[in-house]
Amino acid sequence: MPPPDTRRRLLAALWGGLLLGCALLLAWLLRDGLPADTRLTAMLPEDRRTPLVERADDQLGQAFAERFVLLLDAPSLSEAAADLARALQAAGGERPLLARLDWRASDLADRAPGERLAEARYRLLTGAVRREIDADGGQALVAPALRSLFSPTATTDPVADPFGLLDRWLAARDTSPVQTRDGLLTVSDGGRPQALLIGHLAASPYDLAAQRSLTAVLEAFRADHPEATLSRSGLVFHAAAGARQARNEITTIGLGALAGLLGVLLAVFRSPRAIAQMLLPLATGLLLALPLTLLLFGRLHLLTLAFGASLIGIAIDYALHLQCRRAVQGREFRLSPMLPALSLGLASSLVAYLAQALTPMPGLRQMAVFAALGLAGAWLTVVLWLPRLRLATSPATARLAQGWWRRTGPRGGLSPRLALVGLLLVVGLVTWRLDTDDSLALLNPSPADLLDEERALQGLLGRDTGRRYLLVTAADEPRLLERLERLGTTLERWRDQGADFSVHNLADSVPSPTRQAADLKRVRRLYGEPLAELVARAGLPPRTLDRARARLEAVPLLDVEGWLASPPGRHQRRLWLGDTGDGVAALILLADLPPGAGAEALDARLQALADTRPGVTYVDRAARLGRLLGELRGQIAGWLGGALALLALGLAWRYRGRTWRVLTPPLGGVLGVLGVYALAGVPLNVFSQLGLLLVLGIGLDAGIFGAEAEGRAATWLAISLSTLTSLLAFGLLAFSATPALHYLGLSCLIGLALVWWLARWAAPGVETSPRESAHVETP
Amino acid sequence: MTRLLTLLLCLLPATALAFGLGDLQRRLEATPSLEGRFAQTRHLADLDSQLESTGHFRYERDVRVVWTLETPVEERLEFSAASPPEVGADDRRQAEAAALFLDLLQGHWPALEERFTLTLSGDADAWRVTLRPRQAALRQRIDEIRLRGGRYLKRLALDAANGDRLRVRLFDQRPVEAGDAAP
Repeated sequence: MPPPDTRRRLLAALWGGLLLGCALLLAWLLRDGLPADTRLTAMLPEDRRTPLVERADDQLGQAFAERFVLLLDAPSLSEAAADLARALQAAGGERPLLARLDWRASDLADRAPGERLAEARYRLLTGAVRREIDADGGQALVAPALRSLFSPTATTDPVADPFGLLDRWLAARDTSPVQTRDGLLTVSDGGRPQALLIGHLAASPYDLAAQRSLTAVLEAFRADHPEATLSRSGLVFHAAAGARQARNEITTIGLGALAGLLGVLLAVFRSPRAIAQMLLPLATGLLLALPLTLLLFGRLHLLTLAFGASLIGIAIDYALHLQCRRAVQGREFRLSPMLPALSLGLASSLVAYLAQALTPMPGLRQMAVFAALGLAGAWLTVVLWLPRLRLATSPATARLAQGWWRRTGPRGGLSPRLALVGLLLVVGLVTWRLDTDDSLALLNPSPADLLDEERALQGLLGRDTGRRYLLVTAADEPRLLERLERLGTTLERWRDQGADFSVHNLADSVPSPTRQAADLKRVRRLYGEPLAELVARAGLPPRTLDRARARLEAVPLLDVEGWLASPPGRHQRRLWLGDTGDGVAALILLADLPPGAGAEALDARLQALADTRPGVTYVDRAARLGRLLGELRGQIAGWLGGALALLALGLAWRYRGRTWRVLTPPLGGVLGVLGVYALAGVPLNVFSQLGLLLVLGIGLDAGIFGAEAEGRAATWLAISLSTLTSLLAFGLLAFSATPALHYLGLSCLIGLALVWWLARWAAPGVETSPRESAHVETP
Repeated sequence: MTRLLTLLLCLLPATALAFGLGDLQRRLEATPSLEGRFAQTRHLADLDSQLESTGHFRYERDVRVVWTLETPVEERLEFSAASPPEVGADDRRQAEAAALFLDLLQGHWPALEERFTLTLSGDADAWRVTLRPRQAALRQRIDEIRLRGGRYLKRLALDAANGDRLRVRLFDQRPVEAGDAAP
């Protein structure tokens, strides 16, 4: 009972109009570029996010993103460093690569400490000075003060600071291993001085032009100075390595897969036109999904886009089935007998994806909506448009379908009992052996040698990207500083007891008002007898005493803002979060932890410490992001399981006793991959699981079409082509060096091969349905 | 050809006469080790008073200066061009000041030119070098440094931005043979 042709024509035209609207909407939405989101945490539900922790994470990552560090080792260091600096400063031409480059001693040295610190100096004592004053009023400080007064390099001002308190305090704050030598900034690696160059990027580290120009400068420098060695640190190098890797893989894996795909389709259909028609549903699917998803969610997460592309694998199924059938049946082709299978295929995939739209994870919801819309769009094009487009059929296609059917067609042979035994075996294996991996290494596509370089350089510079920290909040600044101070004391005790790590604490530089008051009292004591002795022994006029003492009368407190605004305090800006709405917050950064078990023990201790103190949260960024990945993986698995159960019920209602035949390819494919992973000891991660989603979708289509078509050569050809094309498009990603793509590809490679093999085995055998013969000679 | 040669010959004495920083450095470097006495006056503008000290010194080129105060206090100060592991990061400012002092005593112009503009006047027997800071940050501390000398450096004058004046006179200088025992 086909609907009247006019009605179909009307529907096709409506669909065209809708797509036109979508194209206009998309153009309007993209007028300012694609609003993309790369944050992993954006995939989490709103109430589970911790804005303060995210602010802290952003702040810690910022310096790493905006700057890069080069360390140069060469026989004639000064000349080589000057060459490199010149080249870097000239890089980019009109649009300079760098906003600033620090490489000469004078770029960092000679920074006056600033007015605020100079005024507050009598409230700031180092531990050593404090102990000296507490011991004997500070008598022992007189001799070094005298020495410094008469030294030819003296910087001591006998009125403002006869004991050099500020110099001592600043020296104790300065933990940087950077030295100046021959006018260069140097860092010493095992006694060998190496020149340090710190570049401040003018553009984003992801800017391709900036990456290119930086890479070109370094390559040219390496060619000119083969004797020099350069090591690098900074996000821009990792971003450049990632971009280069992606480019390489697009040209090798990507083009290879595309060539293979087109080759296979051309071999089967012998017509470029037929292939273009095959790709039309894909394009329309994306055209529907992109603007509507953007409209619904406001912005597009990059994971959605990446996974949305894998939609291609399923969306092309409908077109393949339709075109294969048309090519084989020629004029006798009617859409209506195919509609149930096509609709069921769509419905099953929609259920699988939309199940995830129900999860509380906005990221997953977005992916699900995107995939579902894309599939629906592709399906509508297949059903409404493709039958109206003329297909230049080649008799070769039908012959090929027959030959392929004879050689590889389903032979049946799988009994429900055998399937059940296999199922139990694999499930047992999977529950017994399968591991999971949610480590952050999956998200990091940088090559190992670059990571080693990065680690070595950061170790040398005593910097790190701020992986572990204590997030401390309090109602106001004085109370926050006291909390920080108490935590600092505890951590200091741990270190005294042998714990191996370093601490960056704001309270070490900005003591709490209480402590600043106590230290001012100590300085008043020091300015009594010891100062009188110093003035007398140095032969300074007695009025020096009164004038020096007068300075202690109205000493301002040093606050966090004052410290961070001073040149020596600038590097601690990353520790200060400031106003949180209901108080203030700061970080205590923990660095240089011992690797392995030592760090884990310390993690547990720090967690316990944070739990006992009010307003303190311990954050291990790597572990936290790992947990997020794990949560994502768990959610996908859970909702998918639920969706599958629902689907099995729905399919059982239609297929009754044959349901197991429909379910064997998708379930067998997925379980098979898990089984292989369990046997090989490959842990399951969120990306291999995303690959399984694809296996499931294509497997479901294979199962449904296999059962519906009951052994037609055209269907078998379509199923084979569908698995083969997806295998080419996604399975080849298993050879990618990017971990995320590698695991996605590996799942597809194993899973799709299994789907095809299982479809062949589980579909009803040729002897049960010889109906195809009626159509063989038609074209 | 002959004309060219004449021209060159005419130019020769002129170049020989021009006394450059390179010549001066070579001349100073001819003495690897030196000892002598010093008299230092530090004028404190703020207090309008002087800090005077005397003593003896000994320096080994590119290695260190030992500055021994005799009056008004007895102290032994050492400034070395030590590599970073020997100079802790906790006295960076002193280390930088010491490096500057060593560079000044040795006439290590290339390093000084990074931070100062140098002007040389006089000849090999009575030369004078004036140093003015290039960077604003350094100008906040130092106005000008003047060095005077002949065979050796004789006088060092430093005018600080806050009005303080440092004057160091070096006298009774004599080279130390490599074999001489270190103090």
